[in-house]
Amino acid sequence: MDDWKKNMKKMLRSNRRKSANVELPSKSPLTHPMLSGDLNENLRLLQEIFADCSDVIFHEFLIGGQTKAVLVYIDGLTNMDELDQHVLAPLLQDFAQADSLSNIRKKIAVSSLKLVETIADVIEEISGGNPVLLMDQENQGLSIGLSKWEKRSIEEPQAESVLRGPREGFIETLQTNTSLLRRKIKNPNLKIRSMSIGTYSRTKVAIAYIKGIAAPALVEEITQRLQRIEIDGVLESAYIEELIEDNPFSPFPQLLTTERPDVASAYLLEGHVVVFVDGTPSVLIAPVTFFSLLQSPADYYERYFVGTAIRWLRYLFLAVSLLGPSVYVAVVSYHQEMIPTTLLLTMAKSRELVPFPALVEAILMETVFEALREAGARLPKQIGSAVSIVGALVIGQAAIAAGIASAPMVMVVSITGIASFMAPRFTVGIAVRLLRFPMMFLAGFLGFLGLILGIIVVLNHLLTLRSFGVPYMTPLAPLKGRDTKDVLWRAPRWALNTRPHLSGEWNQYRQAPGQQPSPPNRDEEGSS
Amino acid sequence: MFMITPKRKTVLLHVFVFIHTLFLSGCWDRTEVNDLAIITAAGLDVTDDHQLELSVSIFVTNPSGGQKVGGMSSGDSGGAGLSIVRSAKGLTLADATSKLQQVLPRKVFWGQDEVFIFGERLARQGIAEPMEYLTRHPAPRERGNVFVSKGLAKDVLQLRPPIERSVAEVLREMAKSQTGLNITIKELAQMMAGKAHAAVIPWVEIRQTPDDSFPFINGSAIIQNGKMVGRLNNYTTRGVMWLRNEIRNATVTVSPKDAKGYVSLYLLRSHTELVPHIAGKKWSITVKIETQDDIIENTTDLDLMKPENIQYLDTVLKTDIDNRVVAALAEAQKKMNVDIFNFADAFYRKYPKEWKQAKDRWHEIYPKVEVRLETNPKVTRPGLTGKSLFKRDQR
Repeated sequence: MDDWKKNMKKMLRSNRRKSANVELPSKSPLTHPMLSGDLNENLRLLQEIFADCSDVIFHEFLIGGQTKAVLVYIDGLTNMDELDQHVLAPLLQDFAQADSLSNIRKKIAVSSLKLVETIADVIEEISGGNPVLLMDQENQGLSIGLSKWEKRSIEEPQAESVLRGPREGFIETLQTNTSLLRRKIKNPNLKIRSMSIGTYSRTKVAIAYIKGIAAPALVEEITQRLQRIEIDGVLESAYIEELIEDNPFSPFPQLLTTERPDVASAYLLEGHVVVFVDGTPSVLIAPVTFFSLLQSPADYYERYFVGTAIRWLRYLFLAVSLLGPSVYVAVVSYHQEMIPTTLLLTMAKSRELVPFPALVEAILMETVFEALREAGARLPKQIGSAVSIVGALVIGQAAIAAGIASAPMVMVVSITGIASFMAPRFTVGIAVRLLRFPMMFLAGFLGFLGLILGIIVVLNHLLTLRSFGVPYMTPLAPLKGRDTKDVLWRAPRWALNTRPHLSGEWNQYRQAPGQQPSPPNRDEEGSS
Repeated sequence: MFMITPKRKTVLLHVFVFIHTLFLSGCWDRTEVNDLAIITAAGLDVTDDHQLELSVSIFVTNPSGGQKVGGMSSGDSGGAGLSIVRSAKGLTLADATSKLQQVLPRKVFWGQDEVFIFGERLARQGIAEPMEYLTRHPAPRERGNVFVSKGLAKDVLQLRPPIERSVAEVLREMAKSQTGLNITIKELAQMMAGKAHAAVIPWVEIRQTPDDSFPFINGSAIIQNGKMVGRLNNYTTRGVMWLRNEIRNATVTVSPKDAKGYVSLYLLRSHTELVPHIAGKKWSITVKIETQDDIIENTTDLDLMKPENIQYLDTVLKTDIDNRVVAALAEAQKKMNVDIFNFADAFYRKYPKEWKQAKDRWHEIYPKVEVRLETNPKVTRPGLTGKSLFKRDQR
């Protein structure tokens, strides 16, 4: 715990070393902070600010035929029907004489109303889609919560499908996403802090955590790191991820992204913090460990035997995807005595017509495979399948026939390819896939010696890596015996009594102990 | 914004240097599979001019090197004729190997050699010298099987056995089946360097049939002080195996005296223990043989459902095993005076002091060592059928 705090301090120190002198657009509205009592003055200011913005509508009208008023809103971001019916119509007809803004506020049949006092707030509200009502003789404006825009309906996330489990996924709208979370965790201790990031985009970012479970220092640290960001726009959570992660030079992701509300909720209940970014369905989860990146929600929705077995299969194939081709290259180039004789003879035969060293062959095939994968991923689905057929069947066969690659090599590349897709998080899979190439070089130049060197380097890197102060390889290094129940195997639900210990203060128990189902005790039943 | 700080500079420099050392290493000592002459079996003979002749059986990997230019298919069916034999002469085995390299376009690769055959003539002159190379050089496998062949080892290598891919495969599988001895380079070295300085090596002969000829294991060669001093036939070799605790796989057929016909027993497991005793000047050894057997064939009129008959078979089996062991002892102990049963080590372990005093006289003591047999065979099951289905008059 002390260690962790020290870390935090270190991070805070580096925080002070801010890169200054970044030219950002002048925040001119802030030079005229308050709304004045003169409507014309306010209007002139706003029109100046929104000059050349044809989608900003200034609707001037008279309240009760007397008081001058303006509704400012952005076309397409506002629910026009409701605005007409519940705001404009009553204002034009029902209010006979001039009324004060606070009186009007009480009589308008819209649930979300907010008084705004500064120009900056007015701009913020208008940009967010809320129409703002400005009146003559009032130094306040009324923001009417009638924003509405086109949004995607809630669908199953394509990238994280499960056989059993909820099919809903986050969408691009922040409010919807937080509501999905709130529907799963109906407790006031679910806190959602929000802020805007991006000088131009003013993207809403929300930090969700459960008070009493998440370490307060962690929440503060994440908030601070987010507040430190000065950027013109945030279009995806990746922008934020790259600006707040611990080690920017690591191929491994230090934040987890998910599109699933159930995954986000599960992490919240384990004391993690979830960061929502408006405009993307991918939410960020911090801190993460290496092993949480290798877990899938399906592990918890299947029986625990299955979950454990699949988890180990994943660990195994992660190793295969990192080392597959390099082990092959090392064995074929240096350690032929390790292959069973019969296999060696067959391999020797198939390598006979290949003109390249095994290393070149491996690099060639792996590069082609990566290219095929990338081509297939970027193309429309219909063409993508054609690419994969051409890639897998035609090129694989043709490469052997043309004598460019040997059959065992094609097999190794295919198995490695499949292995890299076993990682439930794409980011981990691609990190390992990239590391495969230096590994192949090491194996090709130094054999198993190089391979071991490479493994040591990768392991060392993983061991020094931290995600928001939490060692990446927790709970194996540092060893936390109790937490291995959800890493080395997937313990049954009734044995997952304690939360994983991430940092600092710790709300230890998440369920009552001794809930293992068992047949009723006959004796007790009889006596009662 | 990426700034080049001094720290980053050093890191970049290190990466740069590291990458270049990989390429600068000069001799990239990688050897691809298709640069290797994969030796599957090696034979050693001695020539008339007292040189060592090394013959190796090399697997031909080139698909066009064989008979037909195979199409594209990679795993084309092998069949016979895929190995060739090359020979070279030299003063020592290392010398012969380097001479062999001169006649081969590919690098000699010992890593997959699992069979070593010594010709009879070489074996009689001494195998210690080639064994020196085979144990010192890191490439040859210590777990390769050793054989002594009747006649030239080269002749054995040149056989084209039809069932397995190569002659090496044939010999290895035969040794592995444990019907004969199974001796590896490592075990041979241990035996030769052991207290007894004696070793047994399976004896390979070539059997000619009208259609083809193939090698098979027939008895064993006896090595003392690195030289072959004699050979045992198959029956005696089995006795040696009982004594050396190497019997794993056996079908023993016995003929009970007062019953007509034979009973065949299949050995399930067996364990032999040598227990040495020294009483004054009298050295003796107790051989404890525990074995369990199943009956697999019964042509006698014994009713196997009767326990007394099973017990009777126990004693018959005991006599049979004892006979084999005694025959082996008579050959090796009394006649040849070679301690292939490694009694020496047994005595050394139990009586290290006495051994120290007596070790120079071991060749005198050994023939006089009294061997007591405590064979305890147990017939466990009568097989699937109880009473014979086809013989009515069983008693």
